[in-house]
Amino acid sequence: MILRRHPSAALLAAAALSSTLACKYEPSTPELHYSLNAKALADNPDLAADGGAQTQLLGALQTMFGTPKNPRFLALPEWLADGFDPNFWGEDHVKADQAAWAALVESNRKAFGQQLSAIRAGGFEAVDRPRFADDLWERWQRLRAELPAGGPDAEYLTTDDGQKVSWREEALYRFENYYPSLANSAAFYHNQCFHCHGAEGGGDGSTSRFLEPRPRDYRPGKFKFTALKGKARPRHEDVFRILTDGVYTTAMPSFRRFTDAQLHGLVDYVRLLSIRGETEILLASFYDPAEGLHFDNLRENYTDVVGRWREAPERLITYAGPIPEVTAERVEHGRALFTTPGEKGGANCVSCHGTSGRGDGPSVWEPGKVGIEFTKDDWGNPIQPRDFTRGVFRFGRRPIDLYRRIYAGINGTPMPEHFGMTITESARQRAMTEDDVWDLVFFVRALASQSPLLARAGGAPAAEGAR
Amino acid sequence: MKHFLLRVLATLLFLAVPVLGVWTFVKADDWGLWFPPIASSYGASIDFLFYVILWMVTVTFIGTEMLLVWFVFRYSKKDATRATYTHGNHTLEMVWTAIPALLLIFVAFSQMKAWTTVKINFPTDGPYTVEKPLMEVYASQFDWRVRYPDPQGDFAGADVIEVPYDITVPANTKVVFRLKSRDVLHSFFVPVFRLKQDAVPGMEIPMWFEATTPGDYDLICAELCGWGHYKMAGKIHVLPRDEFERWLADQRASLYATD
Amino acid sequence: MSTHAHTATHPAKPLGIDPPGTVHATHDHHELGFIRKYVFSTDHKVIGLQFLFTGLLMLLFGGLMAMAIRWQLAYPWTEMPVLGRLLFPETGGVTTPEGYTMLFTMHGTLMIFFVIIPLLTGTFGNFLIPLMIGAPDMAFPRLNMMGYWFWWPGIACILLSFGAEGGGPAAGWTSYPPLSTIEAAAPGSQWGQNLWLLSLTFVGVSSMMGAINYVTTIVKMRAPGMTFFRMPLSVWALMVAALLQLFALPVLTAATFMQLFDRVFDAGFFTPTGVIINGTSPETLGNAAGGHPLLWQHLFWFYSHPAVYILVVPAMGFVSDILAVHARKPIFGYKPMVYSIAGIAGLGFIVWGHHMFMSGMNPAVGLVFMTATIMIALPSAVKVFNWLGTLWGARIHLTSAMLFALAFVSMFIIGGLSGIWMASTPVDIYIHDTYIIVAHFHYVVFAGSMMAIFAAIYHWFPKMFGRLMNETLGKIHFVGTFITLNGVFYMMHQLGLAGLMRRTADPYAYETYAHLQPINQFISWCAFALLAWQVFFVVNFFGSMFFGKRAGRNPWNACSVEWESPSPPGHGNFDKQLAVHHGPYEYGVPDASRDFVAQTQRAPGLHAHA
Repeated sequence: MILRRHPSAALLAAAALSSTLACKYEPSTPELHYSLNAKALADNPDLAADGGAQTQLLGALQTMFGTPKNPRFLALPEWLADGFDPNFWGEDHVKADQAAWAALVESNRKAFGQQLSAIRAGGFEAVDRPRFADDLWERWQRLRAELPAGGPDAEYLTTDDGQKVSWREEALYRFENYYPSLANSAAFYHNQCFHCHGAEGGGDGSTSRFLEPRPRDYRPGKFKFTALKGKARPRHEDVFRILTDGVYTTAMPSFRRFTDAQLHGLVDYVRLLSIRGETEILLASFYDPAEGLHFDNLRENYTDVVGRWREAPERLITYAGPIPEVTAERVEHGRALFTTPGEKGGANCVSCHGTSGRGDGPSVWEPGKVGIEFTKDDWGNPIQPRDFTRGVFRFGRRPIDLYRRIYAGINGTPMPEHFGMTITESARQRAMTEDDVWDLVFFVRALASQSPLLARAGGAPAAEGAR
Repeated sequence: MKHFLLRVLATLLFLAVPVLGVWTFVKADDWGLWFPPIASSYGASIDFLFYVILWMVTVTFIGTEMLLVWFVFRYSKKDATRATYTHGNHTLEMVWTAIPALLLIFVAFSQMKAWTTVKINFPTDGPYTVEKPLMEVYASQFDWRVRYPDPQGDFAGADVIEVPYDITVPANTKVVFRLKSRDVLHSFFVPVFRLKQDAVPGMEIPMWFEATTPGDYDLICAELCGWGHYKMAGKIHVLPRDEFERWLADQRASLYATD
Repeated sequence: MSTHAHTATHPAKPLGIDPPGTVHATHDHHELGFIRKYVFSTDHKVIGLQFLFTGLLMLLFGGLMAMAIRWQLAYPWTEMPVLGRLLFPETGGVTTPEGYTMLFTMHGTLMIFFVIIPLLTGTFGNFLIPLMIGAPDMAFPRLNMMGYWFWWPGIACILLSFGAEGGGPAAGWTSYPPLSTIEAAAPGSQWGQNLWLLSLTFVGVSSMMGAINYVTTIVKMRAPGMTFFRMPLSVWALMVAALLQLFALPVLTAATFMQLFDRVFDAGFFTPTGVIINGTSPETLGNAAGGHPLLWQHLFWFYSHPAVYILVVPAMGFVSDILAVHARKPIFGYKPMVYSIAGIAGLGFIVWGHHMFMSGMNPAVGLVFMTATIMIALPSAVKVFNWLGTLWGARIHLTSAMLFALAFVSMFIIGGLSGIWMASTPVDIYIHDTYIIVAHFHYVVFAGSMMAIFAAIYHWFPKMFGRLMNETLGKIHFVGTFITLNGVFYMMHQLGLAGLMRRTADPYAYETYAHLQPINQFISWCAFALLAWQVFFVVNFFGSMFFGKRAGRNPWNACSVEWESPSPPGHGNFDKQLAVHHGPYEYGVPDASRDFVAQTQRAPGLHAHA
C-alpha cells in the first residue's frame, strides 16, 4: 500500500539501505588447494586409477609441507639438532650475508618510511597498514598492545647479549628487519605469481598456456638459470636474481618494485614448492599396485631432496683472479672452437647457433626453409638456440655470467656443459680448460656487439640463415 | 503540488551537477586526487596550461549549467500562456560564435611553445644530445630496461650496462635518451615529469627531461601492451650529478666482477 | 483495390522510386506472411524496431562486461558474483589478467558498434527518416532489409569470439598492432581477433547499406514543400551521420582487411622488423616484417574519429526536436544548428591525429591536429547555446522524454568541455590514456547519446507502438539513472588527474595508487545500481507495449510530419496527401488557435522556413 502511494519514498529507503550494505560488503577469494601433479599421475597410471592412494599422497604432502594458506616444512629432528630449520632457511641464509641483509634493511626502510616516521613521531595510530605484509601488521598490533606503562621509550626487553632495548626501538627494529613468514610469502605468491606459475608451482596457471616460453615448472627440481655446475639446485641468490632481474624476452618481468624482504620470502616459498614437487614425484613413483603407497624411504628421500638444495653453494662456478684481457688472438681462438663441428674436435657451437651466431645452425634450419624448427626442452616446451646478434642474454650479460652458461651448460636444455669437453687441437685431444671457456665468451661477446676485434680476428663469419 | 515537486526535483538534480561538479574539483587535492608534485623543468608550463583551460572551462561550465538550471525551474511553471515565439537572434549567434572562437584560438596558440619545448626542440647545450644520449630505455612485455652505452658511447658494445626496472639519471641535467620497444606498443609515462611518449617497435624515439629534485619516481606504462600492462612498473632514480657519476662508475666496475 | 494514383500524372519513376508525396493505400496484391512481415521485412519501421530490440539486447551484454570490469577495479582478484564463474570458471570466478583485457575490449566494441551506432542510426534513422520527410518508405527497401540482416553475422562473430581459443579479442577496441596482429602477443590475438575483424567488416557493410539508403531517401523522397531547410534537425543529423559513415567506413574496412592479411597471410603491413614477441621473433616464424604500427593507427582513427561524431550527432538532432516539442518553443537558431552539425562533421575528418599525439608520429603534425581539434569545440558550443536559447522563455513540460533530453544538454556540456584539455597537446602529455579520457568519452557517449536514446524512445514510443510509456516509471527511471551515472563517471575526471591509467586490471599494483581503491569501490557500486535501475525502463518498455495507454496520432501535439501518420503507421506510412508549408518548429505561435501549427497545416504569413 505504502509503495503505491509513496513510491519515491520507498525507493529512497531501498537505495539508502542498499548503499549501507554496499559499504560493509567484503568480497571473497576462493581458497586455494594443492592438487596432484598431472604429469606424475600420467607417468604412474596405477596411481592414477587409485583414488584412495591419491588422497593418501596429498595427506602426506600436507603433513610435510602444509597448505597454500599455511605452508611450512616438516623439520626433521636431526636437522634441528644441526642448527638447520628449513622454515627459516632463507632468513638464516640472508642474515649470514652482511651485504644482503644490509640491502634488505635499507629496502625495508624505504618501503616502510611512513610507518617508521610515524613510530618515531609517536603517532602510533597513524601507522598505515603495509601492503602484502600481514604477518608484520599482526606482530605490530600485538606489540602495540604490549606498550609498557612507562611509555614507548621505557625498557621493553633485553637482548641475548645483555643490551636493553626500549619499546620504540623494538618497534623500529621489527619494521626495519622484517622478513616475511612462509605463510605471508605464500599469500604474496598467490597475488603475483600464481596466475602464471600455478598453485603448486607447476607452471600451469591460467595465463601460462599463452606464454612462450612457458613459466617454470618447479616440481621436477630443474632450474635453467643457476651459477652452478653439475645440474645443481639453485642457490638462494640465483632464484633471487631471477626475481630482481626478470628473464628478458620472456613474460617473467623484473620484480624490483617489491622490497628485498618480499622477494627473499618468495624465494623461500618457491623452494618449498619445488621440494614439495620433487617429493611428490618421488612418492608417486614408489606406488606399488600390490601394496599402494609406501613411505619406507620417504625420510631418506626427503633428506636427499633438501640436501641437494643445501649443497648448492658448494657447486658455485667460481673463477679466481681478474677476468683475462680480451685480445684478437683469443677471439680468433674462440671463433675456431665455436665454428669447428664436434666431429672435427671443436666445441660444436655452430651446429645449433649457426656460423654467424643467429641461432640457425643445421640442427634447426636448412637452407631454403622459411623459419627455424624448434627443439624441445626437458619440460616439453619448444626451444630455440640463442641468436647472439640480438643482444639478448636471459640470465645476465656480464662476462662471468656467460662464462657460467658455457662452463656448465643450461640445465634442462640441449645446451651442454663445455668445461672438460674433449676437443682436438694440433692433432691432440685434450679437455676444455677455463681459458678455452673464456675464449668462447670473448667470441660470443664480440659477435653480439659486432666488435672491431671480430674484424681483426679475420672478419665475421659469413651470414646465411633463416632471415 | 505534485507538479511543483517534480519541478523542484528536476531543478535540484540539474543543480547538483555544477555544485557537486565544482565542489569535487575543489576538494580533489585533499582527497589525494590531484596532480602529483612536479619534478621536471618543463612540468610547470604544462600544469599552467591545464589551469588556464581549467578556469575557462569552469566559468563556462558554471555559466551554462546554471542557465540550464534556471531555465528548467523558471520555465516549467504550469500556466496557460504560450512560450516566447522566436526562432533565434542573429546578433546573439554572432557574439556567441565569435567570442568562443577567439578564446579557442588563444588556447590553441598558447599551447604551442610547451609542446615544441618537450617534443621538438631537444637540448643541444647539455652533456647529452640526440646523437649522444645518456641511455636507451627499452620497453617490453612486461618490463622496463635501460641501457647505458659502453665507455666509447656504443649502445651495442659488449660493455653496455643493462639494468632492469631502475632507471638512474642525474638531477639538474638535461637528460636526452632514446625510447625503444622490444615487442609491442608501450608508453613511457613519468607523472611527476609530465612526460609521456609511446614506445613503438621499429622506432627509436628521442626524448628529454631535466629532473629538478632527487628522488624515486614511478614510471608507468601508458599504452595497452597485453595482460601484464597493469603491472609494468619502473622506477626513475634521480641522483645528484656527482652521485650519479659514482653510481655509473660502480656499474662499469662491477661488469667484470667474478662473484 | 489498387490505388496507384501517381501512374496517371507521373509515368516515369526515376530510380524506380515513387516520387515524393506519393500516397499508398494498402497494397492488397499480396498478403505478407509472418516471416516477410516481421522477420525479413522491407518496411523501414519494422527494420527500425528490429535494430531497437537487437541494440537493447547488445546493450545488456555490453553492460554486463562493464559490470565485470567495475568488479575487478573495486575488488581486484576476488571472486566475482554472478558473472564470475561464467567468464572465469578455471579460477573459481576470479578475473584473470588476460581476461580483463578481453573484458574492456569487448565492452568498447559492443557498445560502439553494436549498441550506440545501431540504436541511433539503425533504429531512429530507419524509423524516423521516411516519416519525418513524408515518404512512404526508404529509397531502397530491400537494401534496408539486407542492412539489418548483414548485422547478424557481425553479432555472431563477436559473440563467438568469447569461445575462441585464447578467448575474445584482447587488444582493446582500438586493436593496435603488433599486439593485435601477432598471435603470440596476447591470448585474444588468436582466433578471437580474427573474429573481431570479421565482425567489424559485417557491421561496416551493414552500416554502409543503411547510409546509402538514408542519404538517397532524404535527397530524393521528401514530400512536396519539404525543402532541406524545413527538415527537422533529426533528419539533418541523420543525413550528416550517414555521410560520415559513407566517407569514413571504407577506410576502416580497408584497414581491417590489411590487419586480417597481416594475421592470416603474414602480409607484414603493420609488423616492424626486429621484434621479439613472447620469446620469438616473427621473422623466425616466417612472418613478413618491415611494416609500421602507426599505419594502422592512422587508418583506424581516420574512421573512428568521424565514428565518434556518428555516435553523437544523431543524438544532438533528436534532442533538438524533443526539446522543441516539450518546451513548446521553436528551436533557437535553426540554421546555425544545421551549419554546426555540418561543421562538426567536416572538421571531424581532419582531427583524427588527436588520438595519436603521443603515438610517435611527427610532433609537428600534432600541432596541426591540435588546432583543428580545438576548433571543433566551437560548433558544439554553438549548439549548446542554442539549446539554452530554446529553453529560455519556453513552456517546459517535464515529461520523461524531456528530462532525458535536458540531461543530454547538461551532460554534453561536461563531456564537451573536458575535451578541450585533451585537444591541448601539452596537457594531453599527462592525461592521455588516463581515466580523464575514460570520463570524457563516457560522458559524451553514455551520459550524452544514451540519454538521448532514452529520450527518443520515450518520445517516439507512441508512434512506434501506438501506446504511451508510463510517465511515473519513466521519471523514476530518469532520477535513478541520472544520479548513478554521475556517481560512476564524474569522479573519473579526478582519478585521471591523479594519474590513474586506463585498461589496468589492478591499478593498485602501483603503491602510489593504492589510496584510489575506495573511490573505485564507490564508482563500482554506483555502476551496479545503474544497471539494476534499468529494470524500471525494461518493465516500462515491454509493459507499455502491451498494456500502455493508447496514444492517438499526436500525443505530444508536435509539428513535424511523422505525427500526421497513424500510431503506429501502416504500410506506406501516411493515409492522406501530404504537403509541407513551413518549418517543423512552429510552437507557441501567438495568433494560432492552438499552441502549435503542424508542418502540413496551411498558415500563410507564418515563418516560411524554420
